[in-house]
Amino acid sequence: KFIIKVGTCPQIGSHSCLCVFTVEDLVSSNIEDLARRCSVSYKALLAIRRVLLAQHTAFPVSGADLYEELLSSTAILSTGNTSLDKLLDSGLYTGEVTELCGGPASGKSQVCFSVAVNISWRLKQSVVYVDTSGGMTAARLLQMLQVETDNTEEQMEALQRITVFRLFDVYALLHCLYELRGASLQQAAVGGGSVKAVIVDSVSAVLSPLLGGKQSEGMSLMIQVAFALKTMAKDFNIAVLVTNHVTRGRDGEVQPGLGVSWSHIPRTRILLERHEHTSTCSATLIKSSRQVPAH
Amino acid sequence: MQRPLSTLPLSSAVKAKLVTAGFHFISDLMNLKAPQLSREAGVSQQEAMAVLAELEQGVPPPSMSALQLLQKEAELQSIITFCSSLDGALGGGVPLGKTTEIYGVPGIGKTQLCLQLAVDVQVPQCFGGVGGEVIFMDTEGTFVLQRFAELAAAAVTHCSLLAEDEEQRVAMETFTVDTILSNTYVVRCHDYVELLAELRLLPSILAARPKVRLLVMDGMAAPFRPLLDDLSARTRHLGGVALQLAAVATGHDVAVVVTNQMTTRLLGGGRSRLVPALGELWGHALNIRLHLHWEGSQRLATIAKSPAHANVTVQYQISSDGFRDVDQSHAAGAK
Repeated sequence: KFIIKVGTCPQIGSHSCLCVFTVEDLVSSNIEDLARRCSVSYKALLAIRRVLLAQHTAFPVSGADLYEELLSSTAILSTGNTSLDKLLDSGLYTGEVTELCGGPASGKSQVCFSVAVNISWRLKQSVVYVDTSGGMTAARLLQMLQVETDNTEEQMEALQRITVFRLFDVYALLHCLYELRGASLQQAAVGGGSVKAVIVDSVSAVLSPLLGGKQSEGMSLMIQVAFALKTMAKDFNIAVLVTNHVTRGRDGEVQPGLGVSWSHIPRTRILLERHEHTSTCSATLIKSSRQVPAH
Repeated sequence: MQRPLSTLPLSSAVKAKLVTAGFHFISDLMNLKAPQLSREAGVSQQEAMAVLAELEQGVPPPSMSALQLLQKEAELQSIITFCSSLDGALGGGVPLGKTTEIYGVPGIGKTQLCLQLAVDVQVPQCFGGVGGEVIFMDTEGTFVLQRFAELAAAAVTHCSLLAEDEEQRVAMETFTVDTILSNTYVVRCHDYVELLAELRLLPSILAARPKVRLLVMDGMAAPFRPLLDDLSARTRHLGGVALQLAAVATGHDVAVVVTNQMTTRLLGGGRSRLVPALGELWGHALNIRLHLHWEGSQRLATIAKSPAHANVTVQYQISSDGFRDVDQSHAAGAK
């Protein structure tokens, strides 16, 4: 929906009192009525409308072409944990948003660290880590790397492939995501590989203060963030991993946070739970378009 | 791909006017001057200038590689607690640049630990301390000056006994009870509105006092009690507080320590459990959570949540000198 530049049709431009400002207005208005009110002929208006429609319509793509494109561009990134990989149907899929939700101290950030380390060390690809709570501790990443290899140079190289952004509000997050689309993704790709994963830990920390109450913008900002993440995943073949909190219902049952509107955004959702008495954690697949929900 | 105007931090009234005028993306506003924009969108000159100012923020956001972050973390120290087992479990003490929550039942020693940290952050660097100042935000009136002076005196005595070389002796001249008291800034907040206002002013306060290395908020639960009948408002405020504290901690290399109370969660079937107050979402807010609890007559501290430390439990005690290891007192008692 672009403003009609005055140059394309000076007659319409000069009759701005007709309330036709945008392409949308022209296409949806009554051509006969418009022809009567301004000095442009009916045929000319019809031709203009046809051109505008042709310029702005979406092209249909066949399912087979889409499938071919998906096969050639999707990669599956292992998380470093074989049972988690099995739950995710072999790993994190590029082009999709995967969500990890869980209560406090259930291990969400630890899984994110582990994924980042695995992609940067084992797969030798770059990772972008967006930290919204200050919890990212490089010493912990190094600890995980030291388990994999003793070679200090390899450890340093793997750490260099992880780029950390620290942001604490939604506009900074949106700015970061759009800048990444612009040029920063190439800059973040270090050491030959390209950025294969973007981890946002946690997306609910920046979004939950905006939702509810008298704030009308919260929902729209949440959808903007969702849109930016999904299109980035699709356009750049990146696996997007986000973490979310959980809310507790009246009878104690847990639900992922951010409400029903957000629940459609991730393709796959995993719930992490910590069991106090056995001090183990469990992962449950609660939403997937590929698998049956399981533990 | 085009970036929509709704991703900019503008007021909703201005956004509505821009959208009605047909401006949807940032690229639509390129090369427009303020008077032109003001005319076409029907906004005032000032609003048009504010909109265009937001556009000029096309700077890439600051980032660093994990390697650079590792180097930075190595430079950042931790604040010792004088309880060596807890310091060991935390890898040196309460870390700078992170937010820590201390929760436990009343009387377990939360405020004592906060007062101890407020003294310990001022220990000079040649003794292995941080040598910084402290802002103490008191919401429940728990800051008792006499007790703080006692802890300060005990720390000064401890360090003067340890002073070996010339540098340490010189440092002891500036590490006295008086200087400790004068480097502690106490702020009294009576309700959540004052708390939120104080947090909003915090960046400018920290800019004016660059030596501050510790922010203590003793009592996060009490000011929010009037909001118990509007829990969603409380959750929103707390979410905002969490983001602000994280920004302060990482942006100014300050350790943020917050204390919280316990509340009862009903589990159904007549059972209940003691859990930290302020709700589920607050549990995610801070990086490190220390749970202080009783086991019989012994006080224990458990690391309930941390990105980089294991979940260990250590013993501690509160003596007249402050927050200490259990063994020290036994050794002192035996003497």
